[in-house]
Amino acid sequence: MERKKRYYSTITRRLLIIFFCLSVLPIACFGLITKGSVEGINIAKLKELATSTTAHRAEVISIFLEEKINLLNMLVTLYPEEYLFHPKNLEDLFLAIAPKGDIVDLQVIDAEGVQHGYIGPYRSMIKGKRYDNAPWFKETLISGVHVSDVFTGYRNVPHFVVAVTNPLKTFVLRATINSSIFNSLLHSAQLGAHGDAFIINRDGDFQTPSLQGTKTLLPVERQLISFDAQEGSLITNTYVYTTRWIDNDRWLLVVKANIADSLGHYFRVRNQIIMLMVVISILAMIGATTASVAISRNLERADKEHAALSLPFSQVEKMATVGRLAAGIAHEINNPLQMITNQAGWIAELLPEEDPKQLKNMEEYTKAVEQIKYHVRRAGTITHRLLGFSRKIGEQKENVKINDLIEEAISFVEQEAHFQSILITRRFDDNLPLTMTDGPQLQQVFLNMLNNSMDAIEQNGEIIISTRSVDDKKLIIEFSDNGPGITDENIQRIFDPFFTTKDVGKGTGLGLYISYNIIEKLGGSITAGNRAGDGAVFTIALPVAKPGPPPRIHA
Amino acid sequence: MKKFNVLVVDDEQEFRELTVKRLNKRGLEAKGAESGAEALKKLEHSKHNDVALLDVKMPGMDGIETLRQIRAQHPLVEVVLLTGHASVDSGVEGMKLGAFGYLLKPIELEPHVEKLAEAYEKKRLHEEKIEQAQTKKFMSMPT
Repeated sequence: MERKKRYYSTITRRLLIIFFCLSVLPIACFGLITKGSVEGINIAKLKELATSTTAHRAEVISIFLEEKINLLNMLVTLYPEEYLFHPKNLEDLFLAIAPKGDIVDLQVIDAEGVQHGYIGPYRSMIKGKRYDNAPWFKETLISGVHVSDVFTGYRNVPHFVVAVTNPLKTFVLRATINSSIFNSLLHSAQLGAHGDAFIINRDGDFQTPSLQGTKTLLPVERQLISFDAQEGSLITNTYVYTTRWIDNDRWLLVVKANIADSLGHYFRVRNQIIMLMVVISILAMIGATTASVAISRNLERADKEHAALSLPFSQVEKMATVGRLAAGIAHEINNPLQMITNQAGWIAELLPEEDPKQLKNMEEYTKAVEQIKYHVRRAGTITHRLLGFSRKIGEQKENVKINDLIEEAISFVEQEAHFQSILITRRFDDNLPLTMTDGPQLQQVFLNMLNNSMDAIEQNGEIIISTRSVDDKKLIIEFSDNGPGITDENIQRIFDPFFTTKDVGKGTGLGLYISYNIIEKLGGSITAGNRAGDGAVFTIALPVAKPGPPPRIHA
Repeated sequence: MKKFNVLVVDDEQEFRELTVKRLNKRGLEAKGAESGAEALKKLEHSKHNDVALLDVKMPGMDGIETLRQIRAQHPLVEVVLLTGHASVDSGVEGMKLGAFGYLLKPIELEPHVEKLAEAYEKKRLHEEKIEQAQTKKFMSMPT
């Protein structure tokens, strides 16, 4: 029982797994594939956008720088040293180029590094400075132009410096450019709320402040500097970086786009899909569980029904096979039995002719021959019972009152039952319909039932006989006793020929076999079982055949 | 007991011979035949035939077929069937075909002989009737 339960729960579990896999896995796969492709496409698009933004900003910044350098170059070329060294002239020039606001100051330094003129807000802080040892000054003298990193310098304000000279001139024109111009340029290059855009130099120092307020580069970002190509890109789990070198590869413009920002809409959709998947999965699981349990229950019920059906079927088949086998054997045994009885008879016939004086054991021989004949008769009785019956069962049908038949059978055993202190209780349905059947054969069955019950009880007990009809179509006759009952293994074989639990010689084991055959030939069925408490119960079901006229009551 | 002829038809030699021997010992005139064909031949060749004891199950021509032939060719001969197979159908068929009786193996000789004697008695009465009828016919013939 426990094993069967485990069997069915295993089936339920397997069904659950199968259902789950069938319903949830495709959704999950679909989700994963969609996620992968949507994210891939998004990242590619984001990178494209960042690249174009980077290129555009880099170009704007380059043009801006070039414009400043060209402006200073123009001034250097156009004006002689003496003109620029004059403070009034320098002031005029400054006023002419400064209105945009991006040039903070203008300074003229001679080839020795001595300042000759300054226009701007920081006059007092740089008064009397010498630049002959400053690297930027030397570089300007050598290459004609210098663009510095952004620094706070003396002025305590982030700025960068452009210095320009001309091989034909003996002075350097230096201008400080407001780096906030860059900041506003980069501000508009920001992609998404968590995006960033900034310029770093080759040492990784920020030339413009990070839009997100970052002070130092992440280790992964440092490798961007090592990219030697004009354009570079890097994709991490959270960011897409695109870079471009500007100002003769001294500055690197970095546009950093947060993938999550660009996927914002997608993430909302994705979350909705995940929610949907969870809901679908839960529904699928509920469905799968219900279906699995239902299937497994149906299976269990079908198995039970099948088992219940197949048992009587196999019993019928077995009885038919056993019947044929028994008949065959009985026939084969009858011939040798005939020979034995013949030979024994022959001896019996010849014996009296012998001289009693010559034959000392005459009496013994006679007795032995009689014994042989007796046992052949016994064996013959058994084979005859096995082979069938004195006449065809069911051939002599008559209108029968089942209750009377049982009463008559009881009368045969009443005396014996009384000696064994067995009470026979009748629970008859008095309105039982008459039926056309073979009365004497049926009575043999009833007698068999009574004898079996009495043998089972032995002493002190009760036999209950009940009759009832089902819709006037079927008669149910039950013989139950409070004997020891029938063991499970015996119940399978109880109708087999020669099966007996009685002592050797007491029963032939044919009673129930014959009863079974009689009932079957009368179109009914007989089953054996146990009562809930103790004792056995035999149930006979007989079809009710409408009585034909004239109703002759059997008694 | 009146003496009468019995033809024992059985394919089993031991049974046939012993039965013949025992019947003879009881004063009957018994003969054996091992098959239906031989039985018909023997009936053909002997003048006086009273009763035939037929085993139902025999190879070749079986008891029922032999019975049919005997009834057709020797209607006066009474037949008793003997079988180890208590098939009701063959018994019923045998009786319908006009067998006098039907015996089940194993059977002792006494009831056996009784049945044969009854069969002979029937045959004798039958013959008597025929004789009477013939005598009547003869007597009524115009002289």
